Amino acid sequence: MANARIQGKASQTGTRLRNGEDLASIVRPEEGIISRRIFADPEVYELELERIFGRAWFFIGHESEIPERGDMVARQCGVDPVILVRDQAGVVRAFLNSCRHRGMRLCRTDRQRATTLRCPYHGWAYATSGELLAASSEHHYGPGELNKSELGLIPVARLGTYRGLVFGSWDPAAPSLEQWLGDMRWYMDIIFGRTGEIEFVGVPQIWEVECSWKFATDNFTDNFHVYWTHQSLVELGMLPSEPDFASHGHMVTLENGHILHFVLGPPLEAFQGMGLPKSLWPRFKEHLDPAQAQIAQAHGYSAGTMWPNFHWLQLVTAGDTKSEPVGILNLRLEIPLSPTRTRMYSWFAIDKSAPTDYRKISYETYVRSFGPSGIFDQDDMENWEECTAAARGPAAKRYTLHHKMGIGRPIDTTWPGPGTCYADSYGEMTQRAWYAEWLQRMREPAPVPTSVQRPRARVSAS
Amino acid sequence: MSAAPETGGAAADGCAPGTPLYSEILEFLYREAALLDDSDYAAWIELCAEDIHYIMPVRTTQFRAQGAGFEDVSFFDENINSLRTRVARLQTESAWAETPPSRTRHFVTNVLVNAQKRPDEFAVAANFLVTRTRADQGYQMFTGRREDLLRRVAPAEYRIVRRRILVDQTVITSTNLSVLF
Repeated sequence: MANARIQGKASQTGTRLRNGEDLASIVRPEEGIISRRIFADPEVYELELERIFGRAWFFIGHESEIPERGDMVARQCGVDPVILVRDQAGVVRAFLNSCRHRGMRLCRTDRQRATTLRCPYHGWAYATSGELLAASSEHHYGPGELNKSELGLIPVARLGTYRGLVFGSWDPAAPSLEQWLGDMRWYMDIIFGRTGEIEFVGVPQIWEVECSWKFATDNFTDNFHVYWTHQSLVELGMLPSEPDFASHGHMVTLENGHILHFVLGPPLEAFQGMGLPKSLWPRFKEHLDPAQAQIAQAHGYSAGTMWPNFHWLQLVTAGDTKSEPVGILNLRLEIPLSPTRTRMYSWFAIDKSAPTDYRKISYETYVRSFGPSGIFDQDDMENWEECTAAARGPAAKRYTLHHKMGIGRPIDTTWPGPGTCYADSYGEMTQRAWYAEWLQRMREPAPVPTSVQRPRARVSAS
Repeated sequence: MSAAPETGGAAADGCAPGTPLYSEILEFLYREAALLDDSDYAAWIELCAEDIHYIMPVRTTQFRAQGAGFEDVSFFDENINSLRTRVARLQTESAWAETPPSRTRHFVTNVLVNAQKRPDEFAVAANFLVTRTRADQGYQMFTGRREDLLRRVAPAEYRIVRRRILVDQTVITSTNLSVLF
C-alpha cells in the first residue's frame, strides 16, 4: 500500500479530526506507527461506527446454533442488534431486532424457538421470514395508511454463509461474502473443514471488558506476548520456559485485512494434526487439498482474524498441570459498546466427527484455559484494560505505539498457501495489515443513507 | 439443570436454622469465605474433596416456561486438578489478573441445609455476593446462588464435594473471572 496514496486522499475524504490532525498521519501502518489516540477517543469511535461497523462484513453466528426451523438467537451485526433465525422454510435470515412500528426489541431472550414474533408494545406480529402478518387495530387505519407488504422486518443488507459461519453487512453495496473473504477461505477450510464439518457447542460465554475493542483484536494475532503475559503458566510448567517457543511457524496477510498464523508445537505427536485425535488425521486428505492437508497435519496452533473482529484460536494445551495437552477450537468476537468498553463473545467448537471422549476433554480444557475464567485468557484482559486506561489522556494521545517488528523481513515464497507469507511467527506484520485495512476504511465516508423513504406520491395525494 | 437436593436421610429438622448442625455448617461457610478474602488459597484448596465438581454454568435470558436459563456450557467446570492448578497459578507472581491482587469480600447469606441419603453429606444452598475491587478501579460485583454438597469428614470439618455457582448475570460485567466463589 503506497503511502503517497493515503496522504494524498486523506484531506479530501474527511479524515481530519477536530483538532486538525489527519488520521493518515497519526496512523501509518507501513511504518509500524499507530497513534494511541485511536484507542480511547470518542471522535474516532464515532467514525468507526459509521465507516466500519455500518459497512464491513461481520460474523453473526453459526448455522449449528439454530438447527431447527424457528430457532433464533439474539446477536449483533456490527453493533446493531439482530435476530439470527432459521425461518419456517429452513432459510437462515438476519433482521434488525426491532419492530417496524416504534422500534421495540422483538426477540427478548437470548435464544428461542418460535413460529412468529409478536411485539409486546402494540402487538405487531411477524413471520420468521420477516413478513408483517398483523398490525394492531388494523381497522383504525385509513386507506393507504398501513401497507403491510412494505413493513416487514429490516433485513441485514447482505447475508452470507461460509462453512456454516453466517456473516452479515449493513452495506447494500458491499462485495459478496466470497469476494470479501477471498483467499481467507483457503485457510478457513483448514480450520472449519479439515474433517468435514465443525459445530458450535451450546451458547457463547459473554462478558464485558473495560477496553478498546482494538486492543483485543491486536492481541489475537500476537504470538510473542504468550511467553510474557502467560508467564504464570511458564512458571507452572504448562508452557515451555523458552521465550521463542511460539515463534516456529508462519504468518500470512491477505487482501481486506484478513490475517493468520500457523505455529508448530513441540515435536510431539500431541501437537500435530491440530491436536485432534490421531483417528481423525486421515480425514485431512479426504476433505482438503494436499497443501492444506499438510498444513493441518503439521501444525498445532493457529490464530486467524476475519477482519475486523472475528477470530479463530486453534490451540493445543492442557487444562491443568496433571493432564496431557489436547486440541481446542475457540471462536472469538468483540462488539464495542463505547470507545473503552467491549463485549466479548467466546464459543467452543468441535469437529462433528470427533469421538465422544475427545469432545469432553477438549471442552473441559477450553473452559479451564479460555474465556473469562481461563487460566490463559484472564491475564490478557488485564493487558487490554490497562492499555486502554493509559490511552485516555490528552498527553498519551500525542504519542504512538510501537508496531515495527519485522518491517524488513523478507517474504517467504516457499509457503504453499495464498497471501503474503513470512517465516517466523514473531513479528507485527499481521497487526500492520489489520491497521492498514482499518485506515483505508476510516478514509472512506459512508454514502448518505437511503433507507429513509419519502412518502410516495400516491399516498400524499390521497 | 436445577440441582434439587435429595432428602430422606437425617430428619429434616436436624439441620434447620438454630440446630447445632446448622451452626456448624454456617461456621464452615464463614471460615471458607474468610480464606478466600485473605487469599489463603493453600488452606482453601484443602477444603475441596478429591472428587469435587465445581461448576458455574453460563446463564441466558429465557421465558419463564423455559426455566432459569442455566446452560450446558459453563464459565467454570473444574475438578480437583484444575482447581489446584488455579490455586498454584494464583500463588505465582505472574498471574497478572491477580498480580497485584484484587481485594474481594465474600458474603454468604440465606443459608439452608438439607440432609441427604448419605448421613455424612448435606445439600447447602446459599445466596452470595462477591465484591471485587482492583487497583484504583471501582467495585465489580457478582451475585447469585451457590448449591453445595458438603461432606462431614470429622466433627466441625467439611469438604466441598460439589459447588454449583448460579450467577444472576447473563453477561458477566466484571472483566474476568479470576476470583473464586
